[in-house]
Amino acid sequence: MSECKLSVDYDQYESGVKIVDLIEQLANNDERLQLESLIIGDWGGAYEHDSSEIVAALVRLKDRFPKLRSLFIGDMSYEECEVSWINQSNIGPILAAYPELTSLTIKGSTGLSLDPAQHDKLEELTIICGGLGKDVITSINEGSFNNLKKLELYLGVEEYGFDATLEDVLQLIEPGKFPQLTYLGLKDSEIQDEIAIAVANAPIVDQLHTLDLSMGTLTDEGAEALLNSEKIRKLKHLNLSYHYMSDEMMNRWKQSGLNVDISDQQDSDEDEDYRYPSLTE
Amino acid sequence: MKSMIIIGNAGNRRTTGLQTARTRLGLPPAFVLNYRDLLQGRVSLSSCVQSLAHSFDEPPLLRIDAPGEHFEVERELIALGAPDADNMDMDERWLLHNKNVVHPISVRMAKRLQEMKGTLYHPSQWFRGYCKLLSRLDMEAAQLWSSPRWMNAPEDIAAMFDKRHTYQILSSAGLPVPRRLAAPVDIPDYDTLQEVMVKERTYRLFIKLATGSGACGVIAYQLNPATGSESAVTTIGVENFLRRPPMFYNVKKLKSYKERPIIRQIINWLLGHGAHVEQWIPKASYEDRTFDIRQLVVAGQACHSIVRASRTPITNLHLDSDRMSLQDIGMPDPLQAAIRQCAEQTLSVFPRSTVAGIDILLSSGSNRPYVLDVNPFGDLLYHSHYEGHEPYEWEMKWASSCTTI
Repeated sequence: MSECKLSVDYDQYESGVKIVDLIEQLANNDERLQLESLIIGDWGGAYEHDSSEIVAALVRLKDRFPKLRSLFIGDMSYEECEVSWINQSNIGPILAAYPELTSLTIKGSTGLSLDPAQHDKLEELTIICGGLGKDVITSINEGSFNNLKKLELYLGVEEYGFDATLEDVLQLIEPGKFPQLTYLGLKDSEIQDEIAIAVANAPIVDQLHTLDLSMGTLTDEGAEALLNSEKIRKLKHLNLSYHYMSDEMMNRWKQSGLNVDISDQQDSDEDEDYRYPSLTE
Repeated sequence: MKSMIIIGNAGNRRTTGLQTARTRLGLPPAFVLNYRDLLQGRVSLSSCVQSLAHSFDEPPLLRIDAPGEHFEVERELIALGAPDADNMDMDERWLLHNKNVVHPISVRMAKRLQEMKGTLYHPSQWFRGYCKLLSRLDMEAAQLWSSPRWMNAPEDIAAMFDKRHTYQILSSAGLPVPRRLAAPVDIPDYDTLQEVMVKERTYRLFIKLATGSGACGVIAYQLNPATGSESAVTTIGVENFLRRPPMFYNVKKLKSYKERPIIRQIINWLLGHGAHVEQWIPKASYEDRTFDIRQLVVAGQACHSIVRASRTPITNLHLDSDRMSLQDIGMPDPLQAAIRQCAEQTLSVFPRSTVAGIDILLSSGSNRPYVLDVNPFGDLLYHSHYEGHEPYEWEMKWASSCTTI
């Protein structure tokens, strides 16, 4: 697959290079014709400049990338910008401009919106962040992604923007909403137990091959519900990596015969107040 | 060219490691001049040389090793740096940035300090004391020999140990270093720091205790210009008391502070003792970790190296980072060569020094090397070999065959 990552590094930022110029350059290069995957990394000072210029440039140059199927906006490490400090913008216009897109990944939820949240061919939608806002969850919920096979949402913590309730989150998994969905990730959450309990017997599990509840504050309480669910037993893969389960619970998973990832156990003796999801800085 | 004096702490990992290396190479053991004995006045370089005179048929190799990890030595150095300590002749250039120690304590108070593991007792007064000791050693050696055979000259050690001073030397030699936010004198406290950051539009910084080593006294600090929120990732902890001054200490596990009052308190403490404030250059990553490189240089030649990869901004912390080799992370040869060259050039601006561990980062994206730190005692590297030799062996092998120092 032809892939390209554009970013403005320290030296370039110091010398005034703009990400939009790099996108323009790519759009005028023959490589563009074969380009299937575009990754936008640090656009320089992402803690103060949002992604709107990038969105505008990509929309303006939409005809230059005929084979583009996969787009990642905001692929940067904590060294470049804390995830909660990345300023995003409305990514919706990208969806409208690239009807052939099959995969969209967004890192950072500050200032993020998805309007219109509609795409007929998108198969994968991933939002990596420290706290996903209710407005974005509602947009996805009320939007239309008929062909979505993989939905991976980092829910995060209230401190970094997670202001939805469990009910808001659960609307995403109502029957019929994503008929093609086989991978569901509701992860990196401070209410991971509640989510696990609610999802354990939800009808949507029947259509999934993978359920990803990793990186959150999952304890024995949520794990118990999962372990007791007949639906969960039919999954091909269950990802519970980074968790606060006890050794006893981990043994039960090992004996369950399920294909479950229970790596990266956190110190479960710690007080509840000190349990954090993985991506919260 | 076989006799040697180590100024160090007898029995610690460094001294023992060096002696073992000498034994393996068939060299006689070095004479160890203990920091503690030196500081408590039991011996001096001159008295040691006099008592050993018959065994030196030529000037011995002189190595000053790290004074750290020894509480009594630390306490004595703080006492030596006290305003009421014996003020011997010393070259004031050595205390370029350390003329005024913040809240100095008397010799008597210093000597009454009790050991509490991890406590950061008094970094600026400690450094003043250490420079006095280095100066004394330098003068004694100059009286003993026409050209003392220092592995690293005391003056260079003082310069490398002070990040403010190192920065000046490296930047004026044109070496790549992260941009300094401002001269230390222009950032006296937290409030000024904020003003300078806004003025310079620089919101991501490393604030480093000027005289700290390793991860000690380092803060990865960020200010969000849009929201005003702050983040300080550091090993510094603080405990506040009702009736006595706060206590600052080092923790093994990184702390991440978001609250202004505590961030302000820690930054003020650090700036008070003297700090170097530089731009945070995003480091290149390997898999999901970012890394930097400790490149040892011995006698002008880059040798052992270690890659320190971490999921935290502070890679030299042992707890949260992995030690790997350049080969492990598949570093292309031209980049390895660039790192070696950068390290060699760095040591070359200290012409009276032959050993240093140079910390180098590659910037994320462009992979350009930048010098982060120069460690005069940066050769304690485990499980690292170059041409079949561990670092101490490599140094001793070179020193025993060398006639130039």
